[in-house]
Amino acid sequence: MVASPSHLRRSHSIAPLLFLLPALVFLAVFVVWPIVSSIQLSFYNWNGITATRSFAGMENWKTLLADEIFWRALRNNIVIVIFSIAIQMPVAMGLAVLLHRGGRALKLFKVVYYFPMLMSTVAIGVLFKALYDQQFGAINPLMIRMGLPSFAQDWLGDSRLALFSVIVVICWQFIPFYMILFLARLMSIPVELREAASMDGASGGQYFWRVELPQMRGILATAMTLSLIGSLKYFDLIWVMTEGGPSHATELMATYMYKQAFSSFRMGYGSTIATAMFAIVMVAAMTVTAVAQWRRAEAG
Amino acid sequence: MLFQISRRFVIIMLLTTLGIAGCSSSSNGGSGRKSISLWHHQTAGAGPGLIQQAVDRFKVRHPEIDVEVVAINNDAYKTKIKVAMGAGNAPCIFPTWGGGTLREYVKANQIADLTPYMTHDNYKDRFLDAAFTQITFDGKIYGVPIENTSLAVIFYNKAIFQKFNITPPQTYDELLKVIHTLKQNGIAPFALANKPKWPGSMFFMYLVDRLGGPETFAKAAAHEGGTFEDPVFVEAGRRVQDLVRAGAFQDGFNGLDYDPGGTRALLYSGKAAMELMGTWESSTIKGENPDFYNNNLGFFPFPAIKEGKGDPKDIVGTVGDNFYAIASTCKTPDEAFALLQYMIDDTSVELRGKAGRVPPVKGFQPDSPVLQQILQLVQQAPNVQLWYDQYLPPSVAEVHKDTSQALFALSMTPEEAAKTLEVAARNNKE
Repeated sequence: MVASPSHLRRSHSIAPLLFLLPALVFLAVFVVWPIVSSIQLSFYNWNGITATRSFAGMENWKTLLADEIFWRALRNNIVIVIFSIAIQMPVAMGLAVLLHRGGRALKLFKVVYYFPMLMSTVAIGVLFKALYDQQFGAINPLMIRMGLPSFAQDWLGDSRLALFSVIVVICWQFIPFYMILFLARLMSIPVELREAASMDGASGGQYFWRVELPQMRGILATAMTLSLIGSLKYFDLIWVMTEGGPSHATELMATYMYKQAFSSFRMGYGSTIATAMFAIVMVAAMTVTAVAQWRRAEAG
Repeated sequence: MLFQISRRFVIIMLLTTLGIAGCSSSSNGGSGRKSISLWHHQTAGAGPGLIQQAVDRFKVRHPEIDVEVVAINNDAYKTKIKVAMGAGNAPCIFPTWGGGTLREYVKANQIADLTPYMTHDNYKDRFLDAAFTQITFDGKIYGVPIENTSLAVIFYNKAIFQKFNITPPQTYDELLKVIHTLKQNGIAPFALANKPKWPGSMFFMYLVDRLGGPETFAKAAAHEGGTFEDPVFVEAGRRVQDLVRAGAFQDGFNGLDYDPGGTRALLYSGKAAMELMGTWESSTIKGENPDFYNNNLGFFPFPAIKEGKGDPKDIVGTVGDNFYAIASTCKTPDEAFALLQYMIDDTSVELRGKAGRVPPVKGFQPDSPVLQQILQLVQQAPNVQLWYDQYLPPSVAEVHKDTSQALFALSMTPEEAAKTLEVAARNNKE
């Protein structure tokens, strides 16, 4: 470092700020301002098209607390959180370990397994809607051919099945993402650990549970947090596949918010749902982060 | 050399960001040319061509005006227009179904009053009188009826009816027998695409109308001397569920989308025998599968319910579907209205007739028997009930569609559905 101290100090104070400015402006206009304004809107009655809106006090919030559909949507969100984490994490981990151990031989699969992540969500939604279709889809004939006619179901039209049909697609879409995340971490574990473990006579399984998994604790916590937040504010795939139907069986907070704000012309109430959603996601994310930190402090 | 940042580089960075911000605001700047934006959702069959030919002829006479035509799928259009309205970016000309949603826009001063244009030279006398009921509020006209006369009727596959020796049923009991016969022969009696919810609602609307007559709904909707908890609505819900239990619809109906044409594919392939749908579908079928249209397509009105109070000649549908409105933000309303006149001038009327539609103008003489039958139905009808999801205020309409779908899914009892709708209607009124 040959720069003079004064030069260093000056660029330190102005340049970073200047570089951050575009991003900060962008964040302020497209993130902070909408959040503040939807919190404000949640206290108003507004249909979204008139020039005027009337102050409603806590009315929207009272409606929300008594709104069965909102609670049902929240419950669906929680179901998606649970299944996403319970299915995606182990499968992604398994694939990552497999690809890592397989080395060059499985290189092709590294690319192939990543394909779902490269597709746009809308395309995935349309694709699976076609596959699931009761009349023209590919899944039901396949089930019947395989001698499992009781597995030929109305996957998206049956209120009892729809949510799980969608969860399968969500997993299909996101497992590759976590797989790559885990794989990257696995590859960064020093070779020395592997050599030391094999010298001590550790089996493949022991090496995974005793060496690799503890090393992955940090990335696992990150992945779970991402999955949690993503599942709580999930929207696009559900919207394309079911629009929250049939009769709210796959309704999520985000789809319900969209319908209230844009189909029912209740922008005020839609904002109330959005604000509640924001608060729920915030609390959940902070809790998970706090727990992770506390455990790290505990361990370290 | 991490901290040695060239000052020139910083300046370029800043200018670039400013430049981006600058661009976006200048792109809307006027170039001096007048322009009209036109949205429509005539995406199937002859639809896009019908719009385009009028636009092309308009452009020949008005070369100084740019016309930007945007076609959007039906169900996507409904949300897109709402967002555009709220953001103050509405197109000059856009389609509407009239009724509650249009009224909401009118109340928000988003729609241009077309009364002066319509009364000029008595232009409005060109149209059927019934075409104005859904676009007239407080004596002012807010739309131009253009596309079609759409009535909900039961389409059927003639070949299948012939094969099983079925004649179009006159009464509801006969319809139930037809359903039974078809079901026994492994054919889905009705094709139904109920993911978007409004197709199933047609059964509910007809049952209500046949059981209680049009007043039952009108009173409940207006909250004057009636409620949605009226026994008629409960009974209609019960009958919907009876149909579902009797297997009147193909499997998976609540997950099937309408726009991609899944139900028509069921009809074409003979997997389903009937479909309760708006008569716009006959025009779509004509464009999509002329062979089926000419040889196999028939339709009959929703049958009578003997014990009901409604007149079996009553129709659910809309005369003038779709109407086109002009946004109050449109800078060129005169030109926009002139363009609309091209869309329903004699040439357009003739082309619409050829495309299998019944444009809502007086003296229209269709040459196809299908269209003649539609025209006859609407002329005989003592009352044409507009679709509930268009008639009701938007928030109530959404609840109606939800409860209707829940009835079909058997996830709500008829009583619960009636109560939910009534609560929504009452909340809206407050």
